[in-house]
Amino acid sequence: MTTVIPFGPQHPVLPEPVSLKLEIDNDVVVGALPSLGYVHRGLEKFIDTKDYNQTTYICERICGICSALHGITYTKAVEKLFDAEIPERAEYIRVIVGELNRLHSHLLWLGLFADGFGFESLFYECWKYREEVLDVAERITGNRVIHSISKVGGVSRDLTKENIDMLLKMCDSLEPKIKDIEKVFVNNYTVKQRLVGLATMSKQLAYEAGTAGPTLRGSGNAIDVRETADWDIYKDLGFKTAVAKEGDCYGRTKVRIDELYESIKLIRNAISKLPNGDIATPIKGFPTGEAIMRTEQPRGEVVYYVKGNGTKNLERLKVRTPTFANIPSLLLMLPGVRLADVPIVVLTIDPCISCTER
Amino acid sequence: MLENTIEATEIKSSGELLKTIEGLKSDGYRYSTMICLKANEGHDFIYVFEKDNKLKNLRYFVKPGEKPKSVSGIYLCALLIENEYQDLFGLTFEGLAIDYKGHLYLTPNSPKAPLA
Repeated sequence: MTTVIPFGPQHPVLPEPVSLKLEIDNDVVVGALPSLGYVHRGLEKFIDTKDYNQTTYICERICGICSALHGITYTKAVEKLFDAEIPERAEYIRVIVGELNRLHSHLLWLGLFADGFGFESLFYECWKYREEVLDVAERITGNRVIHSISKVGGVSRDLTKENIDMLLKMCDSLEPKIKDIEKVFVNNYTVKQRLVGLATMSKQLAYEAGTAGPTLRGSGNAIDVRETADWDIYKDLGFKTAVAKEGDCYGRTKVRIDELYESIKLIRNAISKLPNGDIATPIKGFPTGEAIMRTEQPRGEVVYYVKGNGTKNLERLKVRTPTFANIPSLLLMLPGVRLADVPIVVLTIDPCISCTER
Repeated sequence: MLENTIEATEIKSSGELLKTIEGLKSDGYRYSTMICLKANEGHDFIYVFEKDNKLKNLRYFVKPGEKPKSVSGIYLCALLIENEYQDLFGLTFEGLAIDYKGHLYLTPNSPKAPLA
């Protein structure tokens, strides 16, 4: 006989409200039904009242973790409508701030994840290291939470010599610390006991389920939008997709740790190749036409669709966030999992509900 | 006529739509998203699929009053976006794998179909 119990919307491991109706047989999940709607803000409707430049700030507020990448993706989509050529220096600065987003997002997630399986000291360590990233991001963008850097036509702030020194110092400081926490996440007996073999998705299943980001790559799919032609600067920076074959919670964790090293490498390479010149090009007129832009956020691929009709307001903005793509995979991952492991499995998709509901 | 539109294959009927999407799944395409736009009293759907980091788009016009067919039977992950459009555009999809009946985001007291 099965019982249906609620998981969330308020739960100690969930930073944001999402509800799951879990159908359990003894303590094993046999079915799960996600329920949303606690933080829907109607941001796609809200742009009716904002012009296409102001919409950048709306997009940055879709998420408090990957704010810069939302702004970057939106502005790149609008730039496609104008067929605008953006100064190379601006593109490099976007990459640097985007990778800072990824660094602090993954460190935040690793901390929450450690907390989720009861490893409090590991949680403290991850969040302590995250502070170093936030300090630099705050100095560069002027804000601790919403890292606003991108505008249609380029970026709004240049990197100073002081910013670059801070970035390099942060990279040097962070790398050995990540090695330390990696040892625990990857090799610790207790951690492995909780993660290995839990909520496994095969390579094919993760692909067909439309998952994105570390959830997709943790099942052996080497798919990362940073490899696409839409933002070809990553090819010049020696980007390499992080992938794990396990397909379980352990694999998804390993991908995120590998991506921390990759982000540090990308920041260093972007600084070493940072060209001189302008940081923005003037954009005149109003957007017309349609464009799709994709970038790789910390949680996976985000898809922006914009449609302009020659007025100052966009006719349509559509945002498909990575958590939106990953939530349906919970329907496939949770059956067979014991109730005590549900929080860990839910956390491995790194759910961002503000992104999902917009 | 709008210029600078995205490349998309025009689909004429719901039968053709489902058949084409089944074909895309067999060819190894991943479901990325669906975009819904108001158009000529009806709605334009743009289905976005991805394979080898390249996008393939399908465009299908939903006539006024037409109940579009759900593709969640082919790609389960489509259920969330289709439910979202039931909320935001007041559409009714036929054959949804899980139907929230217009209450994925919206409560009974919310504005009705705010994007419609």
